Amino acid sequence: MYIGNEINRIDAPDKVLGRPVYAEDLSIKGALFGCVFRSTRPHAWIRKIDTSAALASPGIVKTLSCYDIPGENIFGIIKKDQPYLAKDRVRYIGEPVLVVLGETEEAARKASRLIRVEYDDIGVISDPFISGDSKTLIHEKGNLLSHRKVIKGDIEKAFREADVIVEHTYTTTWLDHAFMETESGVGYPDNKGSIVIISSTQNIHYKQKEISKLLAIPEEKIKVIQATTGGGFGGKLDVTVEGFIALSVYHTKRPVVMRFTREESFLSNTKRHPLYIEYKTGARKDGAITAVKVNITGDTGPFASYGETVCLRAAIHATGPYEIPNVRVDSRMFYTNNPVSGAMRGFGVPQLAFAHESQMDEIASMLRLDSFDVRIKNALRKGSSTATSQVLRNSVGIIETLKKVEPYWRRRTRKNDHTGFGLGCMYYGIGNTGVSNPANACLNITGDGKIALHTGACEIGQGSDTVLVQILQEALGLKIEDIVLIRGDTETSKDAGSSSASRQTYISGGAVFDAAKKMRQYLDEKGFYKGRTIREIYASEADKKLLEHNGFFDPPTTPVDPETSKGSPYATYAFATHMTEVEVERETGSCRVKKVYAAHDVGRAINLKNVRGQICGGIAMGVGFALMEEFVPGKSESFDNYYMPTSMDMPDVEVFIVEDCEPTGPFGAKGLGEPALIPQAASIVNAIKDATGVRAFDLPCHIERLKKLIEDKK
Amino acid sequence: MLPDFVSVNPETKEEALAFLDSIGDARVIAGGTDLLVNMKRGESCRNVVDIMNVEGLNRLSVNDGEIVIGSTVTHAAISTITILNDMARSLSAACGLIGSPQIRNMGTVGGNLVNASPAADSISPLLIHDAILSIESKDETREETLENFIIAPYETSLKPCELLTSVCIKALPGYREGYRRTAKRAAWAISRLSVAWAILEDEGRFVDVKLAIGSCTPMPFRPRSVEEFLRGRTKVDPTIGEAVVMVTEEIRKITGDRPSFAYKLPVVSDLVQKALRG
Repeated sequence: MYIGNEINRIDAPDKVLGRPVYAEDLSIKGALFGCVFRSTRPHAWIRKIDTSAALASPGIVKTLSCYDIPGENIFGIIKKDQPYLAKDRVRYIGEPVLVVLGETEEAARKASRLIRVEYDDIGVISDPFISGDSKTLIHEKGNLLSHRKVIKGDIEKAFREADVIVEHTYTTTWLDHAFMETESGVGYPDNKGSIVIISSTQNIHYKQKEISKLLAIPEEKIKVIQATTGGGFGGKLDVTVEGFIALSVYHTKRPVVMRFTREESFLSNTKRHPLYIEYKTGARKDGAITAVKVNITGDTGPFASYGETVCLRAAIHATGPYEIPNVRVDSRMFYTNNPVSGAMRGFGVPQLAFAHESQMDEIASMLRLDSFDVRIKNALRKGSSTATSQVLRNSVGIIETLKKVEPYWRRRTRKNDHTGFGLGCMYYGIGNTGVSNPANACLNITGDGKIALHTGACEIGQGSDTVLVQILQEALGLKIEDIVLIRGDTETSKDAGSSSASRQTYISGGAVFDAAKKMRQYLDEKGFYKGRTIREIYASEADKKLLEHNGFFDPPTTPVDPETSKGSPYATYAFATHMTEVEVERETGSCRVKKVYAAHDVGRAINLKNVRGQICGGIAMGVGFALMEEFVPGKSESFDNYYMPTSMDMPDVEVFIVEDCEPTGPFGAKGLGEPALIPQAASIVNAIKDATGVRAFDLPCHIERLKKLIEDKK
Repeated sequence: MLPDFVSVNPETKEEALAFLDSIGDARVIAGGTDLLVNMKRGESCRNVVDIMNVEGLNRLSVNDGEIVIGSTVTHAAISTITILNDMARSLSAACGLIGSPQIRNMGTVGGNLVNASPAADSISPLLIHDAILSIESKDETREETLENFIIAPYETSLKPCELLTSVCIKALPGYREGYRRTAKRAAWAISRLSVAWAILEDEGRFVDVKLAIGSCTPMPFRPRSVEEFLRGRTKVDPTIGEAVVMVTEEIRKITGDRPSFAYKLPVVSDLVQKALRG
């Protein structure tokens, strides 16, 4: 048995010894250093750019503007509306205007400080509520990026018939991914006339396509390789340094290095979408929730990035893991001149979990019921219909996760009047929403008697390398020594989609499993399981093409109806319950998270250590989301004034794994990356209410907010 | 990136003072946890005298209830040396809360005082211990109280040729002493508000109360009128309540109303009240 074991990550020894070369560590002899000159205005016409002083500065090589782009000066994961380099107009503070290339980092950065731009300011839209009706258009087609609806049943009738109605507004703010490694990479022209980019990224094939369009060069002439990557969390899905490096290599024919400073990363990287959530819940006396109406207003900044994804995913997940017969969700995403918001662990669902779980507690308290019982009464089960009317047939473990924490919930006792307990539940659709999002994997037998696994799935610290190898081992019954992993190179691997949406274990794992089935049959026919070695099989095979076996998996989904979102947007869902104990210091308003009981239905745990690691990491991020992390445009510049949790803020964590097998997943596995975070902030907010009697409707519930809530209640 | 600068590493005090005297615009590094950050942000500084290797400056001596702390004694040392734990509990508690282990290993008490941040954790405890600073230059040695030494936020009476060499405090035997602060997270955070106290009581009366409040006014300060008010009074809730109101009034007198007071005044009230009640 290779799966479900306490196997160490395959990258652990190297990482412990400090051997891997991260993108940030990469250097090439004779490489130029590139830095980005950025807009200092939120919205303005560019009247004049004066680079004369910069070009006279020592060590400067070149500056590149939008006019140096041979192909299309535009990118974006779904809607392509973001220029690499601003043309005529800037739309946010930090927008790239020029690339500055120097012989050294110092030369490039010094020269960049000498560039002068004349701007004519345009009216600034800094609020999504003003954006929609504003005459100032950030894009020609208007300031509403997306409006998605979820409609089910008869919401008005349900509210009329409800015994109680709870209505509140919840707000969240911008968060930075704050990955350990900032956006970095190198590029060079190779001897075959291609441009090679090695970077810190979550998706190599997407970037290959974008660079191909940027340079008007065929995809085969662009090679993107993933360097060892120091974290992503969604922030390395958009094109960051890669486009600039490619453009610089194109023009200079020299190797080029780029590395954002932390300040630059804070300024320019996409953020978690701030959402304004108006939430109305109707219930019967017995605790059955009969109606949910939600209005979501989001700020996506000046470019789409993942705004449409967040808009839809937030709407679909707005009800939480409960069966609600009557639903109406309106989710709108507006353009503003604030920072670009994009993908960040959970795509809007952590924000909604904060809202729906707060509502659950409020409903329970109004009905004088135990909030645990209300959750279990409404929880999805096999045969349930979701808000999009998708009937769940398999792998619906939410009740099991509740039952795992139930003994602790029933036995809980408040040690004193400043401790409290809270619950948070969630469900999360694995993979992209209502679209095909396949992964490929390729296996072949090598001359030295090994099975090589080629995958385009980016290991960003989440553990996909280990999980994919374990799946392969299990399927073929091979020892680790018999396997070679070749990962993250567009030349040697086919598209596996991005490392996002908690999808790689389920989807790339599925592709590896598919390839392994074919390989297993081949090996079996060739006598491997009767004692022949792989080396012998290789040597005896006349047609070497037969040594290769490709795998493919695309989760079965249906597109959602554009008006009602009816459909099956995800093939499978993950479920979780967190129970959190907090201690609140009433004098200072500081809240410490003491203990978390985290139960997750992962379908099947491929690697127990990875599962626990993901959950602990998600909880740490949830502590930050709930209590301190807050990106304030213009103020949050670096870790000096962006507070995220340290190890001292980390609670004790007890993990419970629920394995309600997903039939379409490799050995029953689903996904966990985002689910680990999603219910955490909600459970903290509910625990604070239990401890103090006050409820936070705005995140983060930092010391000042919490103290004010406590004072106001006095 | 750090700008280019020249650094010297004297090994004796005399050498260090000679450098300071002759260079003129030199900045002293005593740990560098503030200076290097500021330089990275663009603060100009061409010449640096690193005093971390100067013999004797990292010494701590105790004599007859008087404690002399050399200016390069680190926060880590102050927070872990048993004798300071006993004789100046508020100071060792405060220094144990500064930054992270790395910062506490580098940062020094001298650096903390000369940087003179309104949020410096060591200042409030040193104020209640009536700290007297020894300041030396090539030609002169002078002493100054900590209260007079800091003249404005990030500004002290130290002249460019002078070096803060040590801090002298008196133990407060019999006093109930402590330090509490609030910050945005459990560790590695700048103090948002802090209170240091040393309280001597006898048979339900306040004999002597020393209070200092940090991160609230331009400089951490002692609310002397409150200390005076409490002297000799019975320790009862109405008296404590009155004292708490006086503290907030004194803060308002210094700075007027500030937006941050919506948070800080309720916190300072609760913390002072808790300290006085014991």
